[in-house]
Amino acid sequence: MSGTIRAGLLLAAAVLGAGVARARLVALEAPSAGPKDLLYLPNGKYLRAASLGQAPVAADLVYFWAIQYYSDYQRADRFRYIEHVFGSVIPELDPRFIDPYWLGALILTTEAADLEGGLRLLDLGAAKNPGEWVLPFLAGWECDHAKEYDRAAAYFDRAARIPGAPAALVRLVAGMRARGENLREAIAKWNEVLADPRGDDASHAIAERQVRTLTVRADLKDLEAAVVTFRELRGAPPRRLEELVHAGILSRLPLDPDGKPYRYDPATGAVTSDASRVLGS
Amino acid sequence: MPPVIEIRNLRKSFRGHLGIGSHLAVSDLSLSVEPGEIYGLLGPNGAGKTTTLKVLLGLVKPDAGSVALFGRPPRDVAARRRLGFLPENPYFYDYLTAVEFLDLYGRLHGLDAAERRRRIERAIERVGLKGREKTPLRKFSKGMVQRVGLAQAIQHDPELVILDEPMSGLDPVGRREVRDLILALKAQGKTIFFSSHILQDAEMVCDRVAILFKGKLRAVGRLDDLMSPDAKWVEVTVKGPVPSGVPGERRVNPDGSTLLVLAGFDALAPAVAAITAAGGTIAGVWPRRESLEDLFLREIGRAQVEERVS
Amino acid sequence: MRAMVAVALNTFREAIRDRVLYLILAVALLVVAGSRFVAMLTVGSEVKIVKDLGLAAVSIFGLLIAVFVGTALVSKEIERRTVYTLLAQPIARWQFVAGKYAGLFLVLAANVLVVGGSVLAAVALMGESPVALVPAVVLILVELAVVAAFAVLFSSFTNPILAAVGTVAVYVAGHLSWSFDLLRKRVTTGAARTLCDVLHAVLPNLDRLDVKADAVHGIAIPASTFAAAAAYGAFYALAVVVLACVVFERREFA
Repeated sequence: MSGTIRAGLLLAAAVLGAGVARARLVALEAPSAGPKDLLYLPNGKYLRAASLGQAPVAADLVYFWAIQYYSDYQRADRFRYIEHVFGSVIPELDPRFIDPYWLGALILTTEAADLEGGLRLLDLGAAKNPGEWVLPFLAGWECDHAKEYDRAAAYFDRAARIPGAPAALVRLVAGMRARGENLREAIAKWNEVLADPRGDDASHAIAERQVRTLTVRADLKDLEAAVVTFRELRGAPPRRLEELVHAGILSRLPLDPDGKPYRYDPATGAVTSDASRVLGS
Repeated sequence: MPPVIEIRNLRKSFRGHLGIGSHLAVSDLSLSVEPGEIYGLLGPNGAGKTTTLKVLLGLVKPDAGSVALFGRPPRDVAARRRLGFLPENPYFYDYLTAVEFLDLYGRLHGLDAAERRRRIERAIERVGLKGREKTPLRKFSKGMVQRVGLAQAIQHDPELVILDEPMSGLDPVGRREVRDLILALKAQGKTIFFSSHILQDAEMVCDRVAILFKGKLRAVGRLDDLMSPDAKWVEVTVKGPVPSGVPGERRVNPDGSTLLVLAGFDALAPAVAAITAAGGTIAGVWPRRESLEDLFLREIGRAQVEERVS
Repeated sequence: MRAMVAVALNTFREAIRDRVLYLILAVALLVVAGSRFVAMLTVGSEVKIVKDLGLAAVSIFGLLIAVFVGTALVSKEIERRTVYTLLAQPIARWQFVAGKYAGLFLVLAANVLVVGGSVLAAVALMGESPVALVPAVVLILVELAVVAAFAVLFSSFTNPILAAVGTVAVYVAGHLSWSFDLLRKRVTTGAARTLCDVLHAVLPNLDRLDVKADAVHGIAIPASTFAAAAAYGAFYALAVVVLACVVFERREFA
């Protein structure tokens, strides 16, 4: 047997052995163990030291990891460390990294119904990045939704004063509260922000997210209202959403931003969608 | 007995820097080395001698042609067991002492501990390093490194010894010692194959030579066959006048005397008579046969002419 | 085989005669000794700090040795041309490379033994049983074996600097293999997905060999996991060394 063949066989055997061992390791891993548990995510200062001068990259890596971690909707105690990760660890590494502030805030306000937590994150971000109009703007927006109109007004005012903020837009939005909550108008306004070429990536990302979230919210509101109307007309709730169209209450059934139909539970009359999750499915 | 080394139509070229161009190091080289002889591979620097040796030892692969050591391919481990090699300007592990170094190489040859000890002692004595064997190689002079290199090449009693420029960088005493060693090895029945560009040394020890120039073989054979044994010419140093009737080339020496080159011994007696009669004094008479250097220069000259013509 | 052993022992001898090795060892031991004092800064478990710093010292200084000694191993011989006489001996080329690797592994094992042993001693001196740390120390050696294999591989065909860069890159990529796993799940189709799959499978999953966190908290590592991890590392290192032998076999020494 020539040397090359022997080497090839040995190589193949070693690769096979490694593959088998690795498969075993993967199988032995705890099923829900995606990224490692938060137990060992140290304080941002230590992480900064450990990153040996590559703090921004480290911030990115932690952000990626965090997104994956929080995408797991089965995880118990999901919201426990959000402020630690998005408000302490990542800002220590890269305080000018805008995305984590608003993502964390969004998760807290939308999914955990924790307005104060969300505002804390946005305030921190705004304090470290006074030139970013989007952060106080978003804070005002969340206050507005939570019907804390005075605080909302204060935030919108702050946002409008930052140079570069589309002041007209901000004032318009602020004035909206007087007209009551009009989701469709809000969506239109956010679409304007999205279309504004002067906006930066962060603003566009936020606007995109807002459009998505608000569209779902508006659709759900319309669908639930339609269900109630149906019940008043026919005496019983519809068995399927399609019946709303047949009954002439809706002209057509909307699809969620992912293109999937909205889910309907005839027993409770509730309409839901996975698309209402901040981080998707 | 089959030849110890057999090279047939060897061709090797190297790619230039960054893959641009190529340099033909050896082309169409054929030679064979018989057991028990001292064979010299001669040529100026860049002739392709080192490349040939590297192909012989399996350090580079030939583009074409075949090379056999004891009838086996160069990478064959069994063949390498029977040879010893000393490269040009050798480097050895400088963190080892001479003994440790030789011990390592002895191990590689599969010698057991007791055997190694004996042979190392013998080899150290043979190359004249006695008393320095415990010194780290880092502290060795160039001459000493050469010696320990020779020790490593012979300690396992190989049948074939390959040396690349073994005399380079040595003083006349050192060169003499290497020459003596080569002759002693031949007396033990070994075959020696060495390359050199110092022709006087080769002339003194070689049985057969091959002359390489720019990768091509220009002359090969026994020294005696390549060079005529008879005196080719006679050089006579004359103080004073040389009568014009005397045939032969005249050259003036720096001290004012004349060097007269006569065509053969027959011309000597009449020339001496004529010179003495004219009042000149004969300062010296040198019968000269063609030296290896003359042969060498002749071959090179011919090669250069060929090159210009083609 | 004998030739390989001779080269291995000689490589070991070369390493322990190198002053740089002792410098690295001294700093590592200093860190372990100093961890006792650093631990006084913490509120809570002081032993944890000693364990963390100690294991980090074993790992990082072992890595330094694997990279700096390993990448010079073959390339230095070629540069200094000591390899010429060596390869003229009755030794097969693969024995040379395998011997170099074996010698390097011995050096790393000795280092892990000394520094790791001192960590275990330091922990024991603080009154806690260091037994739970042993599997982590062993797996550190396995991880070093993989890194050393890459160092020898790169050393067999390029100069020491590029070899060092390559080895460090593999080490970093190996520890970030979890991110390739995440990327795979996000990118569902196409060439990008295939690339992610290939990279994730081919790069050494060094993060799977890292049980330091669990060991420090006294969580027992199941025998099956330990065995699978050790086997993975060992087979992987073997594959890379075989590759290095093949590369070296084909080299020309102009």
